[in-house]
Amino acid sequence: MIAKRPSIFIYANSAHSEILREICAGIEEEGVFFEVFGKDAKSADALAWEAANDSMMGSGIGIVQNRAALQMRGLCQGENVCVLDSAVKAEYRALGANSARIIKKMPLK
Amino acid sequence: MKLVAGVDIGNSTTEVCLGEIGDGNSLRFLSGASCTTTGTKGTVVNIHGIRSALKQAVEKCGRSLSDISMVRLNEAAPVIGDTAMETLTETIITDSSLIGHNPSTPAGAGQAVGNLISIENLENAEKDVPYILVVPKQYNYEIVANAVNQLAGILNIVGMILQADEAVLVYNRLDKKLPIIDEVKYIEKVPDGKPAAIEVALEGQGIRMLSNPYGIATLLELDAEQTRQVTPIAKSLIGKRSAVVIKTPNGNVKENVLPAGEIYIRGEQSVCVHLDEGADKIMQAVSDAGEIIDISGQNSTNVGNMFSKIKRGMSDLNEEEKGEIRITDILAVDTLAPVLISGALAGETCLEKAVGVAAMVKTQQLPMQKIAETLERELGTKVAVAGVEAVMAGLGALTTPGTKLPLAILDMGGGSTDAAMIHEDGRVVMTHQAGAGELVSLLIQTELGLKDRHVAEQIKKYPLAKVESLFHMRMENGQMSFKETSIDPRFYGRVVLLTEHGLVRLEEDLPMEKIVQVRREAKQKVFVTNAFRALRKVAPEHNLKRVSNVVLVGGSAEDFEIPEMLMEAFAGERIVCGRGNIRGMEGPRNAVATGLVLSYMGEML
Repeated sequence: MIAKRPSIFIYANSAHSEILREICAGIEEEGVFFEVFGKDAKSADALAWEAANDSMMGSGIGIVQNRAALQMRGLCQGENVCVLDSAVKAEYRALGANSARIIKKMPLK
Repeated sequence: MKLVAGVDIGNSTTEVCLGEIGDGNSLRFLSGASCTTTGTKGTVVNIHGIRSALKQAVEKCGRSLSDISMVRLNEAAPVIGDTAMETLTETIITDSSLIGHNPSTPAGAGQAVGNLISIENLENAEKDVPYILVVPKQYNYEIVANAVNQLAGILNIVGMILQADEAVLVYNRLDKKLPIIDEVKYIEKVPDGKPAAIEVALEGQGIRMLSNPYGIATLLELDAEQTRQVTPIAKSLIGKRSAVVIKTPNGNVKENVLPAGEIYIRGEQSVCVHLDEGADKIMQAVSDAGEIIDISGQNSTNVGNMFSKIKRGMSDLNEEEKGEIRITDILAVDTLAPVLISGALAGETCLEKAVGVAAMVKTQQLPMQKIAETLERELGTKVAVAGVEAVMAGLGALTTPGTKLPLAILDMGGGSTDAAMIHEDGRVVMTHQAGAGELVSLLIQTELGLKDRHVAEQIKKYPLAKVESLFHMRMENGQMSFKETSIDPRFYGRVVLLTEHGLVRLEEDLPMEKIVQVRREAKQKVFVTNAFRALRKVAPEHNLKRVSNVVLVGGSAEDFEIPEMLMEAFAGERIVCGRGNIRGMEGPRNAVATGLVLSYMGEML
């Protein structure tokens, strides 16, 4: 048996470190596991879609530099739950929290 | 060929029915339409609503406004409804002494007692004194956790209160784990240096110590008298997942009973009743009074202000002498309103007793003639004021398949509930009762603590569902609905309203069951009570057993659950009761407008 932690996948390509930190903090505050992977693709939309499909929990985030996209398994590529581009810190924190709330089936922030 | 329009101006909706009279006096109905009433019923601003409803109606059948050769307005009943709400109790916290709330993610578990200290004043802290650290939101979780970790062994910090939503983040970085409460909005009001107790519940449980007066006494070392005083605190913290109680020398939570005042009912019998005796007693007094001339409240009390506010509003709109405005009926309903506790620190609310009142104001004849004249000038068509509203409603209701005289109609609108009994010989007995759709909205709004009346109106009108995944939702009756394409993620995890224009999201974080319960109770309290009251007034010998058929008409009869509620309530009286279906196609709306067109035919014969 392969035991895998049910976690949110974050696929990042040269992500801005501050943004990544805020997103992770948002997830952590909600008490959900997450894993960060480095990727080569250039589009946050594609990364988010891939992450959501790879995550056992169906929730994924793609980050390319300043751009972060949140995806749920079942949505089409590009049809993100939300996208942020050079937003303020609190918004990235909320995006992280929302990715966890998707799993907890709680209303998004 | 003549095109005749019947126009019914109601408290909240204006309705139009369009009929064509052909050769040999044959009548053919063409279309119906409805529009929101502009302004108060019976004022000249109503014309805007009338025009747009007429326009809708003619467009539906491919005609134009100039084709209409005759417009007939209803002689609107000279009653206008209004609603008001007053709380009877209030809870005040003096000297800010408690925080009890449900942040979604507090951290740690257990309770702690210590002196409150702001993170800015840490250098003044003494050794060996237990402290509860208070942190405003400008301090980042990493800084806070680092500071606390470094102070371990130097200072004795036993718990934390945070302003930001970062309890778990701080907790995860602490070497020594502590209970932490977060999302305390008004942290600047937390007094420095005072002893306090904090508690975070175990997962899946509510707090145990601070919701128990003896628990608070144990933690804060209170004597018997002080323990008695903190009982309301303990009561208000029941069911919370985290709480803070601060011991302040003069701090207290008081449950005040407001001076609600007396209601004076002047009628065949003059009766006086105290507002805080509750809705049942008030309604008993109203029915004891018989025919009511006027209702007023004790001066400079809540209820006095409430009634004079209603009367003032009416006199402004009607340009009448103030003495002419008389309240001739009220419907009082008991309710509970979540009211913001004054002095609380995290925006806590407490359920307070309240009474909602719908009042009906009898005015002198409404200036319908003035509206008719203005409309005639604007449209260039003949406009006439014709027929008493209740008679017209009766005529219209009779177009419902399966009805015959004698017939009782129950017209449930926005502002008032009207009943009329039409006998075989054409005699009509009618009554107008205060309280209808608008009171239901007010009750929903107060009981759920909604900021916006519009949201309450929508909750009243539409069934609920909870979006459980991107592809399915659960309806309030337990049914599941699956969607081919994904539901917009904005609705995910939310309670939504199923409207004809798609889903509408409720911003308030309320469980679906609670909303359904409040909505159904509000409708029961208003419509079932009023239906019995109204029918008893118009029934022969005031005996419900003498009424055999009741047709429900008006906007609120269109509601998805009110007619069923009434059917159930009337089942015991062996009354045939159901939603009308005007002209066999319009449903319960448009009865008066249809009656106006029909009565024109009658006049021509």
